[in-house]
Amino acid sequence: MLALAGGVYLGWALGANDAANFFGTAVGSRVISFRRASVLCALAVLAGAALQGQAGIHTLSGLTEQTVTTLIIVSVSAAITITMMTMFGLPISTSQAVVGAIIGIGIATRNLSTSGLAKVAISWLATPLGSMFFAVLFFIVLRWVSRHVRMGILTRDKLLWTGLVVVGTYGSYALGANNVANATGIYSGVIPGLNDFHLAVIGGGAIGLGVITFSRRVMESVGKRLMRLDAFTAFIAVSSMAATVHIFAVIGVPVSTSQALIGAILGVGILRGLQNLKARMLLNFSIGWIFAPLISFVLSAAASAIWSVG
Amino acid sequence: MNRLQSKQRAVQERIASYCEQISLCVERFKTTFGECCTCFDRQKVQKSFDSVHLAEGRADDIRRELENLMYSRALFPESRGDILGLIESMDRVPNCAESAVRMILNQHISLPPEICDQITELVSVCTKCVLTMLEGVSQLFNNFIDASITVGKIDKLESEADRIESDLIDRIFSSDMPDLQKILLRDLVDKIGGVADRSESVGDRIRIMVAKRSV
Repeated sequence: MLALAGGVYLGWALGANDAANFFGTAVGSRVISFRRASVLCALAVLAGAALQGQAGIHTLSGLTEQTVTTLIIVSVSAAITITMMTMFGLPISTSQAVVGAIIGIGIATRNLSTSGLAKVAISWLATPLGSMFFAVLFFIVLRWVSRHVRMGILTRDKLLWTGLVVVGTYGSYALGANNVANATGIYSGVIPGLNDFHLAVIGGGAIGLGVITFSRRVMESVGKRLMRLDAFTAFIAVSSMAATVHIFAVIGVPVSTSQALIGAILGVGILRGLQNLKARMLLNFSIGWIFAPLISFVLSAAASAIWSVG
Repeated sequence: MNRLQSKQRAVQERIASYCEQISLCVERFKTTFGECCTCFDRQKVQKSFDSVHLAEGRADDIRRELENLMYSRALFPESRGDILGLIESMDRVPNCAESAVRMILNQHISLPPEICDQITELVSVCTKCVLTMLEGVSQLFNNFIDASITVGKIDKLESEADRIESDLIDRIFSSDMPDLQKILLRDLVDKIGGVADRSESVGDRIRIMVAKRSV
């Protein structure tokens, strides 16, 4: 049971960081107070984890068989990777850090499911691409609507900002359903008396707790950063990210919300002109995309070799 | 969200009343210059000035109410700054109309009959420009895409006012009036033309607000 503390900690950190992607714009622009947004987000995360989180847990637990020692190695390797990436201000993918660590352990112990791995690897490519696709689709549809439906500026703004709160809640649900596996997925079948549903609820609770207790600063800073996007683009970005993350939750593959967000912004950028995109942002995205799984892979493989696991 | 919605309704209602007062103010501004051109009766002009001043004062009261509403966090942030800027810019229109009428009254300016036609024409174009600007503001709150077409009309009317203003000044300085009167009349013509200039500035704001929201 004590080993689960690592997963709860990981879930808490995930909630503190990733909720900002969904509610940052709305909170940063004071459309909704942080307190309301965090409670709404935490409840949606818990609901998503409890109702649809088990598929991801199943996938992650199928990558390799874990013991208490390997569980600790995976959690610590992922946590160190996340800390390093945070220190360098690079976009963090908790999913990639966790999966990288699992692969490291799996290769060191020669106990890795290649079919599960292929599913995960494809999802890493498909996340930004899928989100980009949704962004382009939503953009075209909403552009048509905004050009053909008569409305005043206040109505338009009201629809967009209210829509941001709605898609933020939906995105939080998708976050819970998808990312709960990162927090407690590796404990599946390891701790007696806890089935996948229990793990999903514990993980969802941990993510929700992270949102309520520690996401304020990140949410406000992401809000300010994203406010450079207009409300329309922010709405497209959050809805595309939410739809992508939810689809992967149904398939059962934990993915990175940050990468889904970047994909969505790229999608809008394609239609609005790529000159608006920041090269620095793309570079950071690429570095994070490559190094997050790589570092945690190296750390967990090295730790396995040092402690002669397996 | 409901509180925000009722505040939004209150903002929209007050903007409509604000537009009504500005419209009333420029209509009276037009009437005053009409009266000055037909027969200058100081008492009558004073009465007209009072009515312009009253409408301008009411418009100011509504603007203050609107600003208070905005500072009490009515509307979403994106709209709040835009609307505050818009009403601030609109406020200069009745102010300018009022000060043109005040100029006639305080400086005892009498309009020579040879320029009365053109003054009336200038006032008429400026009034039309303001009314078109008010139409643009109204469209902003009903169908903002149409507002950009109206802004084009404001630009045309302002150019027309500029042309009349320039002809008038040329005519004033070509006449054999005393120099002091020429200068006073030039200032008055400038002031009247200012009404169209300020309407054009509001039009520019409308254009930016529409552009920000166009996809």
